[in-house]
Amino acid sequence: MHPSPPDSPFHRATRGRSAPVSRRDFLWQSGGGLGGLALASLMRGSAATPDAGRFGGHLHHPAKAKRVVQFFMAGAASHLDLFDFKPDLVKYDGKPSDFGEPVEAFQNGLGPWLKPVWEFRPYGQTGKLLGEPVAPLGAVVDELSFVHNLTSISGVHSNATLLQSTGFQLPGYPGAGCWVSYALGTLNENLPTFVVLPDHRGFASNGVKNWDSAFLPSQHSGTMIYPGREDPISDLFPHRSANYVTPQGEVAAQRLLAELNQGHAADRAGDSRLDARIRTYELAARMQLAAPEALNLRAEPEHILKLYGLERGPQTWPKEINDAEEVFHFSQKCLAARRLLERGVRFVQVWSGNDNSFPRRNWDSHENIRQDHGPLAYGMARGCAAFIQDLKQRGLLEDTIILWTTEFGRMPSSQGGKGRDHNPFVFTNWLAGGGIRPGVTYGESDPWGYKPLDRTNPTRVYDIHATILHLLGLDHERVTVRHNGTDRRLTDVHGRVIRELLA
Amino acid sequence: MAKIVTPAGLSLPDPGFAPDPAVVRRAWRSWAFAVVAAPCLWWGGAGWAAEAVPSAAVAGKSSAPVKATRAAESREEWAFQPLRPVTPPQVAGVATGHPLDRFIDAQLAAQGLHRSPSADARTLCRRLYFDLIGLPPSPEQSEAFEAAHALDPAAAVAHLADQLLASPQYGERWARHWLDVVHYGDTHGYDKDKPRPYAWPYRDYVIRAFNSDKPYARFLEEQLAGDVLYPGESDGIEALGFIAAGPWDFIGHAELPESKTDGKVARHLDRDDMVANTMGTFASVTVHCAQCHAHKFDPISQEDYYSLQAVFAAVDRTERKYYADPALTRRAAELEARQRQLKQRQDALDAQAAAAAGEGLKKLDADIAAATRQPGGNPGAEFGYHSEISPQPNLLKWVQVDLGRRVALDRVVLWPAYDDFANIGAGFGFPLRYQVQVGDDPEFRESVILSGVAVNDDAPKPGFQPQVVPASEVTGRYVRVTVIKLAPRSDDFIFALAELQVFDQAGTNHALHRPVTAQDSIEAPPRWQKANLVDGIVPAPPKTGDVAEMKQRRMALWKESLSAAAQAEWATTTNALAGVRAELAALPPPRMVYAGGVHSGSGNFVGTGGAGGQPRTIHVLARGQVTQPGQKVGPGALSALDFRSARFELPETATEGDRRVALARWLVDPANPLTWRSIVNRVWQYHFGRGLVGTPNDFGRMGARPTHPQLLDWLATEFRDGGGSLKQLHRLIVTSATYQQSVGTDARAENLDSDNTFLWRQNRRKLEAEAVRDAVLQVSGKLDLTPGGPGWQDFVIEHPEHSPHYEYGLADPEDRRTWRRSIYRFIVRSQTQPWMTVLDCADPSIRVERRNESQSPLQALALLNNGFMVAQARHFAERVQRERSTLEEQVRYAHRLAVGRSPRDAEYSSLLAFAQQHGLPQLCRVLFNLSEFAFVD
Repeated sequence: MHPSPPDSPFHRATRGRSAPVSRRDFLWQSGGGLGGLALASLMRGSAATPDAGRFGGHLHHPAKAKRVVQFFMAGAASHLDLFDFKPDLVKYDGKPSDFGEPVEAFQNGLGPWLKPVWEFRPYGQTGKLLGEPVAPLGAVVDELSFVHNLTSISGVHSNATLLQSTGFQLPGYPGAGCWVSYALGTLNENLPTFVVLPDHRGFASNGVKNWDSAFLPSQHSGTMIYPGREDPISDLFPHRSANYVTPQGEVAAQRLLAELNQGHAADRAGDSRLDARIRTYELAARMQLAAPEALNLRAEPEHILKLYGLERGPQTWPKEINDAEEVFHFSQKCLAARRLLERGVRFVQVWSGNDNSFPRRNWDSHENIRQDHGPLAYGMARGCAAFIQDLKQRGLLEDTIILWTTEFGRMPSSQGGKGRDHNPFVFTNWLAGGGIRPGVTYGESDPWGYKPLDRTNPTRVYDIHATILHLLGLDHERVTVRHNGTDRRLTDVHGRVIRELLA
Repeated sequence: MAKIVTPAGLSLPDPGFAPDPAVVRRAWRSWAFAVVAAPCLWWGGAGWAAEAVPSAAVAGKSSAPVKATRAAESREEWAFQPLRPVTPPQVAGVATGHPLDRFIDAQLAAQGLHRSPSADARTLCRRLYFDLIGLPPSPEQSEAFEAAHALDPAAAVAHLADQLLASPQYGERWARHWLDVVHYGDTHGYDKDKPRPYAWPYRDYVIRAFNSDKPYARFLEEQLAGDVLYPGESDGIEALGFIAAGPWDFIGHAELPESKTDGKVARHLDRDDMVANTMGTFASVTVHCAQCHAHKFDPISQEDYYSLQAVFAAVDRTERKYYADPALTRRAAELEARQRQLKQRQDALDAQAAAAAGEGLKKLDADIAAATRQPGGNPGAEFGYHSEISPQPNLLKWVQVDLGRRVALDRVVLWPAYDDFANIGAGFGFPLRYQVQVGDDPEFRESVILSGVAVNDDAPKPGFQPQVVPASEVTGRYVRVTVIKLAPRSDDFIFALAELQVFDQAGTNHALHRPVTAQDSIEAPPRWQKANLVDGIVPAPPKTGDVAEMKQRRMALWKESLSAAAQAEWATTTNALAGVRAELAALPPPRMVYAGGVHSGSGNFVGTGGAGGQPRTIHVLARGQVTQPGQKVGPGALSALDFRSARFELPETATEGDRRVALARWLVDPANPLTWRSIVNRVWQYHFGRGLVGTPNDFGRMGARPTHPQLLDWLATEFRDGGGSLKQLHRLIVTSATYQQSVGTDARAENLDSDNTFLWRQNRRKLEAEAVRDAVLQVSGKLDLTPGGPGWQDFVIEHPEHSPHYEYGLADPEDRRTWRRSIYRFIVRSQTQPWMTVLDCADPSIRVERRNESQSPLQALALLNNGFMVAQARHFAERVQRERSTLEEQVRYAHRLAVGRSPRDAEYSSLLAFAQQHGLPQLCRVLFNLSEFAFVD
């Protein structure tokens, strides 16, 4: 656990500045102070063209959206208890389960049918039924489009997580955000194109393999940011041991470096890498200015903090998993995501849930759905609902695609007790925003929520990815890179744009 | 953020984009013109190659091995054509000369291009150092070379090359290239990403192989079948780390049996990785593309692919035991075989007796078991210490107590734990083999190993009996119990202990309530937690049931059920078994390597050991689906090549190892056209920044064509026929004028060949992450050249009991253990080292044929601000201050150390002014960030 340190940017926002200002504090406040000064002396109205991506700004067709945010519930969130209500499970609750065919469950957990552990109620114009912990999403439910017939090809967390994050079940493929960064380039070169906000407690299965660039150039990797931490981005400022670095020295160093490197490049005309390298130092200085500004959550007015449930700031949290703590952490990521997207970050991935540690802080509720899913789902719903409302009021929802996903679903039977085993055969995604038709449901699961209703036409992650690329103006079959003998793409050899979901 | 892609004009094209066909065509045309006189055109026929090739030459095509039906496509399958003898072309006016230059010059001439002049001595020196050993030269080394070069350039280069190739740092540099290709890592990856504590012996093997210039064929053979071909030799076992180098799906194996679909998928994909690694690394073909259907581009059938899977059908990734001394390895293997044999016989006799004795014996056994497993052995809720659960018995685990100060000991007492789980009862989790160490530092760098405990042989079950380990005359502060073989539970393995006591002569227990640490622990209070190990609470033996009496009755009954002859045989067998066990126990503890091999496990990950290493049946899978098995296949390789049978027709008696031998033999066959081209091309790439074939892992149609096909074949043939000496190959390359050219540009040449396809200059190269790091340490004076052993770790592991969190941010940049060469870094797959990753380090989850090369602001930030850079800049400054007295000298010297030359006047005055104002450490930090530091001309 990494509790928010007392001098985190967010903390200062809520408590004022009574504590003495540390050196790092100074850096993060004036990130500013340092990079900014260096910047002033270096920028010379820099003329280099920002990266326009693999397709140089020439899209395959007109785009409906420019940005993507993906919410990933690690551990496998239960569709049955949150979004996909099954009256039959209520009716047959406790009766021996019968799937009508042999089923291989991950932990052989095929106890009696288990009804949703919460009440479902209708919300919005559409009257969509939502489980109690995700009730906050009721406020925006008419914006959401549900896909209830997603299927995976693996019931193992690591493989299924990779499948959702990279389109392949083996490690070694670029994350969806990497592909988008590679294809579309940047909207603001002072910030990374692809940002990942990992769960503050740790990584999900596969760690950085879910978002690293694999065979694409490294700048397309997801840059990890931890809003609220002392060092939200590693290496943005000199390491804490750098006692010999002063703000003046930093400015002079940038200047000296530029001078010497320019001399070096001038002697080696024709090697544009050398000029490019000089420019990366300028951009680094700009990032020192832009990132702290983007992550300065205290700049938000009180009503926005209230919208996200962040007005009380970090607290001392109880040991047990609880609603307030989940709201704080997830909403903090959502607010940071909004600020980053607003400033031109292309793709933000927000994680809820860490590895399979104990006590559980992820969605893999084999033991007790109510205990783990309850607070996690409530925190997620609070944050997502606020995020969607906030994007909407800023006019950003129309060109930002939102995808909520998880690696697979959970079984309609209990695992003997209060938990559910893995269900790779069906689960739920929801989408919203940029070019997505709001308020529809595409694809249904069967009456048990065990498999798709139409087993011959499931939706797969390839279709979701193809649809997102389509909305970004890209033909998923044409965004390819050759690697070890194959023209690789995000959608492997699959993928269909889900026209029914397009606005 | 800006994406600043390497410009097309330099050595790294956008990944995945095939080379410009026009360039390839030009290359071919020029080659064809250059060799009109040569009689050895070995393919052509129809198509684009023919347009420039005289018909007489075309007629030279003969005895192509590719099957006739494919002849029309053969131009696309250049790599499948046999190697043909080639003579270096004659260049007008140059009768002799370096053979390699003759190939390059002929092609340059045809293009109207010419070689650039030689680089100056200083540049050449820096290039040779980085290329061959991955470290910069010291100013003295550079000066010595410059002086020698002035007298006789050729001799100077040859001499330096020999010197560098003979240095141990050569193997470290080139092993790193190899580990990129085979995707080596020190953790499993996937979910949980557990450490692999014994991966490193393979890494050290590779370094040793390069340093000893092991013939390539032998190097290849050992990595696939060293255990069979070179039995008893540690190289033969350690080399098998190749098969296990890639990621392993722990959950897919340990939590899912092979009977479940997802379990089948996990094993299928595991073999797929072995096959892809083998064929990609050694043969540069993409066989894995034939998993779901015949290869779309290359002559590789699905049957070929599954035949290759059949080669590895008995193999899993597992820990293998061995000894450095081959005689010992042989002896241990013999004894173990004998032990198995005797045990089988004993079991058979037992079974015979049990069958004859019938229900009476069964009842007695049940009664004895019940009596021994008296419930409530624990007086309270506190049971003891419990390790994490392991899928294998032979994972090292330890628990230790800190006595707070050095204590003169008398004895250490281990109390077995008690738990009814799986009906185990007393002795729950008590290790089968373990050792007790006493030391003065918590990491036990030096320690005394107490004798008198089971190290090499399974200890008898202790029941409730405390185990007393004598320790008189031993003094120390820390006492550690290290388990060599874990106790079996129902279908996995653990280590548990109720109490650890450390007594002095006066009988004081110094361990009571002292701090306990462990490699891992299941903290599930109140029952299991580390603190329970020293809480003074131990389980009590049962009070009821006369076990001894029951055992006597059992023995009597058992005897009645066997004939006298059988009884006698049982006694002899038991005696012999005890003898063998004693001999095994007398052997020193074995070494371990994580390698490909027959695994014997329990639970879901059983491996094929139980079945005597019998290979699993491999089917052709329709569309690659494990649920759709088709025809069965035996071991084999690529049927498009017919230099020897591509289906390994092995005798009935063949073992699984024979399959691997067959594949190794197929690969190293002198007539195999892929193997020899593959390796020389890789070596070429690391000397020029680009291979003669731009896609070293793919010689198929989706890959690049050779830019210098004749040179490629000449190199491959020379290399093969010269005994497969890599050092010889390096010498050949670096002594060529082509290699020694300057990187300088030329507008005309740039215009004709901006990619430098024809090598009219050398390519300027950006240092890889490891080379940057090693150079920083070398320059700062902190580089520790200690070779080999377990990898150093620049992270702190948190939560090791579940999914370890590898926290790089918590590492101390002043930790000297991390100042060794980068090749010795402990490589984590799921949480790659952020600083290295930003600098385009190889991803240990992918087979990396060539590093990406990118420039990004995050790289700039990493080089400026990372704790490692900040700390080493300070050390660099301290070194310079130590070795030079005035600031003026220090500034000049620092610049020299960093980039290998003295600063020019203008540079010097800027540097000096900066140092005066902002200090030497800050100046050193700037020097580490110079482009000149990061690039090699």
